[in-house]
Parts: sequence; structure tokens; C-alpha cells
Amino acid sequence: MRSINKLFLIAISICITMQLNAQTYKLPPYEKFKLKNGLTVYLMEQHEVPVINVSVILPAGAIYDGEKAGLASLTATALKHGTKNYDKLKLDEELDFHGAYIGTSASKESTSLSAKMAAKDKTKILTLLKEVLLEPTFDAAEFDKEKKRTLLGLEQQKESPRSVIGSYFDKFLFGDHVYGNVVQGKISTVTPLTVDDLKKFYSENYLPEGSAISIAGDFNKAEMKTLITSLFSTWKKGTKPQVNLASQPIAKPSKQQVLLVNKDDAKETTFYIGAPGIARNNPDFVSIDVVNTLFGGRFTSMLNDELRVNTGLTYGANSRFNALKNGGSFAISTFTAGKTSEQAIDKAVEVLNKLHNSGIDEQSLTSAKNYVKGQFPPRFETAGQLAGLMTQMFWYNFDESFINNFEKNVNELTLDKAKAIIAKYFPKDKLQFILVGKAADIRKIAEKYGPVKEIEIKEEVKKGF
Amino acid sequence: MKKIIVNALLLLAVTTQAQMKADDVKSFTLKNGMKFLVVEDNSIPNANMYLFYKVGSRNEYQGITGLSHFFEHMMFNGAKKYGPKMFDQTMEFNGGANNAYTREDVTVYTNWFPSSATEIIFDLEGDRISSLSIDPKIVESERGVVLSERSTGLENSPWQLLFQTAQGVAFLEHPYHWPVIGYEDDMKNWKQEDLERYFKMYYAPNNCVTVISGNVKFDEIKKLAEKYIEPIPAQPEPPKINIVEPPQTGERRVMMQKDVATPYLGIGWHVPNAKHEDYYALTILSDILASGRSSRLYSSLIDKQQLATQVFTNFGESFDPTLFIIASVAAKNVNENDLEKAIYEELEKIKKDGITETELQKIKNQKLMEFYGQVETINGKSNNIGTYEVFFGDYKKMFDAPAAFNKVTADDIKRVATKYFTKNNRTVGILKSNTAE
Repeated sequence: MRSINKLFLIAISICITMQLNAQTYKLPPYEKFKLKNGLTVYLMEQHEVPVINVSVILPAGAIYDGEKAGLASLTATALKHGTKNYDKLKLDEELDFHGAYIGTSASKESTSLSAKMAAKDKTKILTLLKEVLLEPTFDAAEFDKEKKRTLLGLEQQKESPRSVIGSYFDKFLFGDHVYGNVVQGKISTVTPLTVDDLKKFYSENYLPEGSAISIAGDFNKAEMKTLITSLFSTWKKGTKPQVNLASQPIAKPSKQQVLLVNKDDAKETTFYIGAPGIARNNPDFVSIDVVNTLFGGRFTSMLNDELRVNTGLTYGANSRFNALKNGGSFAISTFTAGKTSEQAIDKAVEVLNKLHNSGIDEQSLTSAKNYVKGQFPPRFETAGQLAGLMTQMFWYNFDESFINNFEKNVNELTLDKAKAIIAKYFPKDKLQFILVGKAADIRKIAEKYGPVKEIEIKEEVKKGF
Repeated sequence: MKKIIVNALLLLAVTTQAQMKADDVKSFTLKNGMKFLVVEDNSIPNANMYLFYKVGSRNEYQGITGLSHFFEHMMFNGAKKYGPKMFDQTMEFNGGANNAYTREDVTVYTNWFPSSATEIIFDLEGDRISSLSIDPKIVESERGVVLSERSTGLENSPWQLLFQTAQGVAFLEHPYHWPVIGYEDDMKNWKQEDLERYFKMYYAPNNCVTVISGNVKFDEIKKLAEKYIEPIPAQPEPPKINIVEPPQTGERRVMMQKDVATPYLGIGWHVPNAKHEDYYALTILSDILASGRSSRLYSSLIDKQQLATQVFTNFGESFDPTLFIIASVAAKNVNENDLEKAIYEELEKIKKDGITETELQKIKNQKLMEFYGQVETINGKSNNIGTYEVFFGDYKKMFDAPAAFNKVTADDIKRVATKYFTKNNRTVGILKSNTAE
């Protein structure tokens, strides 16, 4: 894929804007209410196609894994291994027959469910969704099969530098903070997991009071309110409050350093250059997005222009801020042939220095502002996108004003403010380098950028480096 | 992408009940032969423009393999009015973004923009179609980009090597023999004159279908097309591709070595192109086998027998006869021969006993949902309308597809399985770490 188009997904991609000097994009009307058990519900009617989309978010991410890396992820996957009234086979058959979909997955901070169904099947499929979420059986035989697939998947990931570099980076940057937890887990931690671990994780973290469900699509709001209330009111509150493990302070790197991951058969060097980033609730979130767009978030960005267009060193280079609730990361990301590693790394650092030293001009800032605004509406075109947006509003605690004022906020970004944003949020020093490639060929080069810690790609990441 | 290769064929939408009707698509053809299809849709203040050029790796030969895809890249590198870098810079300054993809049969350019920028998009497209400038210096740096694109594909997924090798064995004479990205040595040796000839021969308005969907008015689009595109002269029709792959008369097998945890398996059978009457039955058969966890192959290989951890099929629209592919990854400690045998057993069941009416209905239900997904966005509309127009010969076939799918019977599925899934017609590719054993 041309990575460029996906670049400026900041965390869960809330890049909002609207049309250049034309009608302002407004979020369509929605209703928000809370059930007695604390579950927050969002409803939005959208009648373009006879389809209903659901998005659920729960505070059950990998930050709660503890020593059992992969636990949140496997718990989410195992929700579909059967429910009170449907064993796995029957559940799969029912969903497939109706052309419906229920997906479950864990990320760093949260677990998400999503569902899509024909409007006419809403009672049937929403009932299935409720069973998957509230009445999973965690069947031991199915879990055993899943575990084998997961373990092989963990081995296979190491065949692709692109698939593993993000986990190395998070661990290197966040150290022992829970944001360094590896969502997919490790072979040594997944191997001993049992359904009892899953059941315990489920009962401690799948709680209505910190969760939200949003439904967008072809339905009548009043009817849907009744249906959802009757389905999800049985969800019991937790007995003790969940502790927010992510609120611990994040230690900043004290020096510039390099992690070199050796892959003997690598022909390329895949690398990140990163630093601490921002939390999602940062008041400068929108401005940072605009500046990152012109630095590394689109085709003509400074990074892509230099590493791809001018020099042909790579197929694509980009940068992004990954913003979570309590902090985040910033990373430049690209890859190049083994023999051009040094040239490409130097160029990437040079472009970052250029951002600080030469800054940006009015023309490029205007272009980035126009781009961010112009590319916004398609991000909220479908009911599925809107359902996802509403659970993000819940999770990161913002409302429609963020969306409805987005154009205004983008327009208000001046050149002086943009320069202040660069100085404040884009790293200058203490950069963290992650290089995945053939160590024998690039070890000397790696040493140029700081003290090097070297590991084998097939070796397991220990706690910290 | 920008520009990426899509080997996997894009899935087409079909339905039994369309929100959108054939009448919603309006059409005109310019005097130079470029056909326009327009859908007015003001659900968001944006629009898109998809240009489908009928040129791909199918139009290449050994020595210039990969040139169609490379040319796709060069289309962004400067023309008469908008010089080097200005195409992207102008588009992004005006709030637009773009991409492109090259397949065996077509090269497709995609522009997404606020509808207020529509005229600028026409100006940009008109400029590069009429007067592309191919700067030798840029050719060299862009060559590095596509070499990196090729390399990173191979570096990050075993499937790329497996599929391109197996496809090369399945097609010995037809141009589907080489990969869309090209051979590495050809990539290093494309010449300036190859590019110039390619531009003249294939980038003619009469070799292109343009689709526009979004917050636009048909009359305005027509005016802009007449202003910016119509003055560009038509060119003689490109040469026909005469090569027909001779029938395969025996199983072909090919092995590849890569350091992987367990073997990867890909099996391809020769099947007809999109205009053939069996297209719809084969599409449904593909879903019966691998769409969803209740599908035949998932349920048998992954769930019940635990021989595999992944299985999928690939069959899509093409100009010339193509491959129906079943691909799978062996589970830990499973011999790939046992996995291969288990796949054939599932195919034999369909050949012998056919499928159930429930299974058939299931796929029809899934097709309907798939269709809703496609017409939900202006991009889905443009991509599907354009794909039907170039691959099936008429965009209206998109709206006839529901009936065509509904006509497919359980017996048809059994018939096409029996007809195509034969031993002599298949090519088997295996990628594993210990090929020497």
C-alpha cells in the first residue's frame, strides 16, 4: 500500500475538518444516554442504505495484561468462541447466513467490538452481539485451537519487519510503563494461558460503567432505544472500581539510543526514529495534526519529498503522532535497501532538523490546512465511520463541538503558532532509533546514532531493554 | 500505491436490491473518444474522479516488464503546465489527494477532492494526458522508488513471491506470465523511448473511461470535460493482445525457499474471464469455499482438522482467462501435502454432492450486504461503475448482476467445480524453509 494515505491517522484517526470555504460539515444529530448500570449509549439515524453499524468500546486493553502479555487480545478473540445459546459453530453460521459481521479486538488501552447487519436482521444480530459481549462461555477446546493459531501467528510476524517494528518501538520508548505492553503477546506468555485467565480478565475488566455502545444506521431511534435498553440492562456493574494503570507517569528517554533488531535474511532496513508524543486531550491536537501533515503526513510532505521524490531511497516515508489517553509517541517511519541505510537515516534526521531550523512558510502551512480540511468529510461518510466516531468521543471525552469547530480551529492556526508547535512537540534530541535489518551490514552505521542494543528478531523481547 | 500494484482482483459488488439505480449514472462521450460516467451524490461536500486506462502488465513483453506500473508513477512527475512535483503540490494545496493502481489489465488513477476543486482537477488531468514530460533525471530517482516498492513487498510477505512464481508457471505464454511490478533486471533497464512510446500508444483519451461521483452537477462536468479534455487528440487503437494461453494438460508444481515458520501453499486453476457465462457461478463458488468462518474450507481445514491457520480464495474480473486461487498456510507441524490433500477432498465433495440451498442463499445474502458497502461511499460507486464498464463492457451490467447471481443454481456450482477443479488444470506453488529435504 502506499502508506501515505494512512499517515495522519492520529491514534484512532479523528482528523476532522470540512470543505474549503464552503458549507461547514456538521455532525449529524445523535442521542446520548446512560443505562442504569452505567453503560453509555449513542444512537444516530442514517438511512442511506438499509444497514446498521455498531461500535462498542470497553476499558479492557493490553495495559491490563500484567505479566500475561496477550491476555486482553485473546480474551477479545475468545468472545466469539460461543455463548450461552450458541456454540461457536452455530454463531458463525448465523452471522454468515445473514451476511452479518461481529468483530472483537483488543488494542493498547481498550477492547472494541464492531458489528454490521442488514436493518431487517437487527433484533436477531443485536441479540447475538449481546450474547457475545455479556454471555461468552470461553470454551476450553476452542481456546486451545485459538492459542495454537496465535502462537504460530507470533512466529510468522517475525517474517515481516513491518509487522513487528511498532512493538519494539513502544517497548523501547515506554519501557516499563503499560503503554509498552505488546498487544499481541509473546510466545512465552501466551503458551501458559488458560480459559481461567480469560474468565478472570473478563470479569475484572468487561464492565458497563466505563464502556459505551454506539449504533448508527437505518433504524428508528425510539425503537432502538427500547431494544438496546432491554438487551444491555442486564449487564452487571463491577464490584470494585478499575484502577487506571496508564495514569502512571511515563519516563522520558534520557539519551539518544539505538535498538538494532537483526534479521539475517533482510534485504532492507526498516526503521523508526521516535520520541515521546502527546495525549489525545492535548489542547493543540488539531494544530499538531496540521503541522505533522506537512512534515510527514501526506505525499508532498517534507519527509516523503526528500526520501522518496528527490532521492528515490524508499517507496514511502512518513511521520505520525500516536495519541493515547495519558500520553503517546511520535515516530518517523520508513524503509530502504540495506546498502542505502545510512543515507536514508541521515536524510530523515536532516529533514527533522530542517523543520526546526528553517521552519515552514505561509504557503506550505496554507496547503496543509486546506488538505486537512478537504480530506475530512470522507472520514465520516458511512454509518460505520460515524458509529466509530461516537465511541471515540466517549473514550477520549470530546463532543460534537470538536467536529463542528474543526474548520475554525484549523483556520486559526497561524504561522507563529505553527512554529511554536514545532518547537514544543517535535523532538530535537534524545531520539530513539529502531532498526530492523541485517545487523552484520548495518551495525557500524547504527553506532553512529548512539549506544546500540542489539537483539535477534527471533529472540523474545525481555521486560525493558 | 502511488502508486501501488493491485494483483488481487478487486471484489465487485452485486445485489438483489439496489439503493442506487442504473439511471443514476449519466454518461457522455467526448469527440476524442473519452467516455464519462457521472453520479451526482451530495451526501458529503466532496467528489472524486477515477480514470481507467486500458493498459497493464498484459500489454508488456519481456524486456519492458513492469513498465505499465512504472508509467503510472511517471504520470505524477510533471507535464507542460504543471511541472515536476506540481501535480501533487497543486492538488494537495486545493484540498485534494490522489493515488493510483496498476493491475494486469488496467491502470487506474484516483483523485479525491472537495468539490470546489473540481475544475483544478480537470486542469491537472488534462495537462498530464495531453503533454506529459518525461524528465530523464526523474526517471532515475523514480526507478529507485519502484525498486523499493518491489523489495518491500517481498520483504514483508511470503505471498508475493509465492503468487508471482506460481502465476509464472501457470501462464507460460500469455503476458499474465510476469508480475505486474516487473522483473528486477527489466526494471533497471527501462529506456526513455519505451516510456515515450507507451504514453503515445496507451495514454490516449479513447483508451480511457472516466468516472466522477460526488457533489457535482452533470452539466458542469460535461462543460469542464469539453474545455479541458476534448481538445486532446485521439490516437490509433492500441495493438490487440493475440496470445491465448494454450490449455494446460498436466499438473504443474513449483517450490520456493524462504525462512518461514510453516509452509505456504497456493493452488491456481485456469478459469475464464469476466465476460464468460461461468463468471457468476465461480464468484459464488469462491465465497462458498472461503467467505466467513462457516465456509467450507475455513470450517474444515482451520476449525475441524486444524491443518491450517489461514485459508482464502482469489477470483476476480479480468480481460483474459485468469486463475482461481486457493491459498493456505499450514498449521504448526503439519505437512503441506496433507493440507493440499485436504483441500482437494473438500473440492471433491462439491463435485460429487454439490452444495445446499442454504449455502447458496447464504452467499446471496452476503452479496447484498457487500453491495450496500460498495454504494455507501462515493469512492465505492466510482470504482465499481468503472470496473463494470471496462471489464464487463457496460456499467449497466453492475445493475444486472443481482439477477445474474440469483439465476445461479446449486447445480451450476457443482458443474463449474467439476469443469475447472481438475488435476491437469492446476498449478501448485509451495513456499517453505526446507525445500532441500
